[in-house]
Amino acid sequence: MDAILLGFQTLATPMVLFMLVTGLFAGMIVGSIPGINDNIAFAVFIPFSFAMPPDQALALMVGVYCAAATGGAIPAIVIKVPGTASSLLTAEDGNAMARKGMAGRALSIAITSSVIGGIISSIVLLFFAPSLASVALRFGYVENFALAILGLSSVVGLLRGNVIKGAIAAIIGLTVATIGFSPVTGFPRYTFGNINMIEGIPFVPLLVGLFGVAALLDLMVDIFRDRKDNKPLSKLPEIGSLLLPRALMRRLWPVWLSGAAIGNVIGMLPGAGMLMAIFLAYDNAARRFRRLYAGKPGEEAWGEGVPEGVAAPESANNAVTASSMVPLLSLGIPGNSTSALFIGALALHGMVPGPLLFSQHGNIAWMIIVAFLVANLLMWPVAFLVIRSVSKSIFSIPKEVLVGVIAMLCFIGAYSDGANTFNMWVALVAGLVAFVMRMTKIPLGPAILGLVLGPQLESSLNNSLLISRGDWLVFIDPINHPISAGMIFVSALLWIVPVVLNFLPKKAA
Amino acid sequence: MKNLALVAALGLSALAMPALADDYPQRDIDLVVPFAPGGSVDTTSRIIAETANSILEGGELVVVNRGGGGGIVGQTSVSMAAPDGYSILAMTSSVVTNPLMKGATYSIDDFRPVALYNLDPEVIAVPMDSPFETAQDFIDAATAEPLSIVVAGIGTSHHLSGLAIERVTDMTFNYIPTSGFGAQVQAVVGGHADGALWPMGEAMAQAQAGGVRLLAIAQEERNPDFPDVPTFQEAGIDIPIFATFRGWAVPAGTPDDVVATLSNLMQSVYEDEAYRERMTNAGFVPVFRDADAFQAVISDYATRTGAIIEEAGLGQ
Repeated sequence: MDAILLGFQTLATPMVLFMLVTGLFAGMIVGSIPGINDNIAFAVFIPFSFAMPPDQALALMVGVYCAAATGGAIPAIVIKVPGTASSLLTAEDGNAMARKGMAGRALSIAITSSVIGGIISSIVLLFFAPSLASVALRFGYVENFALAILGLSSVVGLLRGNVIKGAIAAIIGLTVATIGFSPVTGFPRYTFGNINMIEGIPFVPLLVGLFGVAALLDLMVDIFRDRKDNKPLSKLPEIGSLLLPRALMRRLWPVWLSGAAIGNVIGMLPGAGMLMAIFLAYDNAARRFRRLYAGKPGEEAWGEGVPEGVAAPESANNAVTASSMVPLLSLGIPGNSTSALFIGALALHGMVPGPLLFSQHGNIAWMIIVAFLVANLLMWPVAFLVIRSVSKSIFSIPKEVLVGVIAMLCFIGAYSDGANTFNMWVALVAGLVAFVMRMTKIPLGPAILGLVLGPQLESSLNNSLLISRGDWLVFIDPINHPISAGMIFVSALLWIVPVVLNFLPKKAA
Repeated sequence: MKNLALVAALGLSALAMPALADDYPQRDIDLVVPFAPGGSVDTTSRIIAETANSILEGGELVVVNRGGGGGIVGQTSVSMAAPDGYSILAMTSSVVTNPLMKGATYSIDDFRPVALYNLDPEVIAVPMDSPFETAQDFIDAATAEPLSIVVAGIGTSHHLSGLAIERVTDMTFNYIPTSGFGAQVQAVVGGHADGALWPMGEAMAQAQAGGVRLLAIAQEERNPDFPDVPTFQEAGIDIPIFATFRGWAVPAGTPDDVVATLSNLMQSVYEDEAYRERMTNAGFVPVFRDADAFQAVISDYATRTGAIIEEAGLGQ
């Protein structure tokens, strides 16, 4: 308890709080601009942070990290362009709601879900970090493989109707993931002799392309279509009322809790990350929706404006932020690529994350933890302010100008990750590919999941088998690897149950 | 008119003159870190630049991150830069192995070493609850049957250190390539592998925190922070030193006096007590070796790893 107070004391100085709030505003804006994400923001910011005192630098990073995951939902809902990869799924139901004149409600659900997910996981971080860190340690190569399988299997639930296209998308993602060093042999593959691809396609510019550049092309098509029909440019939806009816809140609580729980667990596991959390939470919410509400009067179809479709991924992605700090602060193991950048920021100030951080720099360690809680509490007003002011003015920019601005930001963002011009080509090509995929109705989600999970799948499979000396049964060994066996079992159910249900005679309605 | 021409001619000749140490530097110097911000090379470079800029006159040392291609993009850019002392590479051991294994187009001779600031010896680390209490336990077990050993990746200097150990002993290893130090800690502290070959800089914090036990360190003398941990030679592994290095290099052809100025700058940085404390806190043992001594370290590493790479068939 003294330690927590120490954290509050460190945080409660005007400059540190100011930095936290600045970070929240910055993160919200960075997140809401397609093409720029928290990774890029940190890459640009870390060198500057060297000149700042560590408490201020880290408070600012916490603010950016928390808010970027929320900000991504704003353009996802308003223009169906996810601002960050973590709001990929929010764009479906969120934008459908916006098109039906409920943009304000969708945004409000997104923010409230984010804040609730964030607060729950901050509380978990505050009180249970050390005991949960040992759970992260139970995840070895075998468990990581099973987790990747579970993540890929969650896609099945999302693929009603176009299983083949979903499979194609996943295969595209997995294939692109094989570019670069083979973890097994150490030799580069499919790099076509290009040194820039030796470690794989650079991931940050790839995401910039898939979300930012592709959105750009979409907007351009919109503009051309309007011109051809000689229509004035179609307006972006009005944001409207941000109030959430009480009945809706009651209905969403279970979704928030389960989304936050999924985000908490996934966030702690190194190598899983936000994308897996949103897919699992979305899949879980879809099942619940079909069981309780689907087909009832006044209910939309899933994917066409269901509030759960916004609430689940948004509560999960913000729960990941704080919980990804559990293994980072207590063991020095980052939960995802963004939290890994905290290691760099800490190292610049002569601190090494891990158990020693709490004994040597307890004030900073506890300040970071407390900052997550405070950041999530402050995020609510900040988010509404940003939506009412900045977002409103951004989306009132004429579409033609918006295209130019997004284009510029995308390429600057891609370049600034490593100051390498090759990254701009990556963003451009990825954008074209994503655009073609959208034209041909191949879903982007499974491709991204394949891209993220591919390397984990390959190296954890290889390493599990190296350690087990080629014994494939380790993955379903209930005694030595119960966690893995459980996850494989659940994955199998995800595949089998829909098939079996198809063959069962339909109940009379 | 005549005067103007004279002034122009003088100006041109001043530009064309080779940089003399007296008037070097006249502008900012790029210290190219061939990785993204936040890694060990970036961190150490920024700590150095901070102290260096309090000493340096005439220009500032500016850390420039030029990432991509596992360091090759930034390394290549410096190998092709003008040899005028305004482009410095934060040079790591990978400059030696990248042309051999990863198809980098530069050669190690395209660089001229300036000074070394950190040597990171290899250590053998095992989980805290491992049955191997001593280096001898470990050696006996690895001699009886292959042990699963976590390394940063196939073809990394840590994998090469394992191959070097196998060459001089009867031990055999089952290499488990795991990228990212965090994931490696997870594998070792969580007991999913038998042990790891790690750089001391990163292993130290885990060992001090009691997550892992160090069995042997590949350097000539015992580490003062770990007086009970034997050197490789004391443990019966005949490798006097196996260490990755971090230092400065400039493009080949850079004038002697410029190299001397930079080497002296690094020495002055090293003599600053606050600098040494910052480096130590960040997990890096500060050292200083001048250009010639650094060249010797590089040559030794090149000979040692060249033979291993060839034997293991890792070259391309």
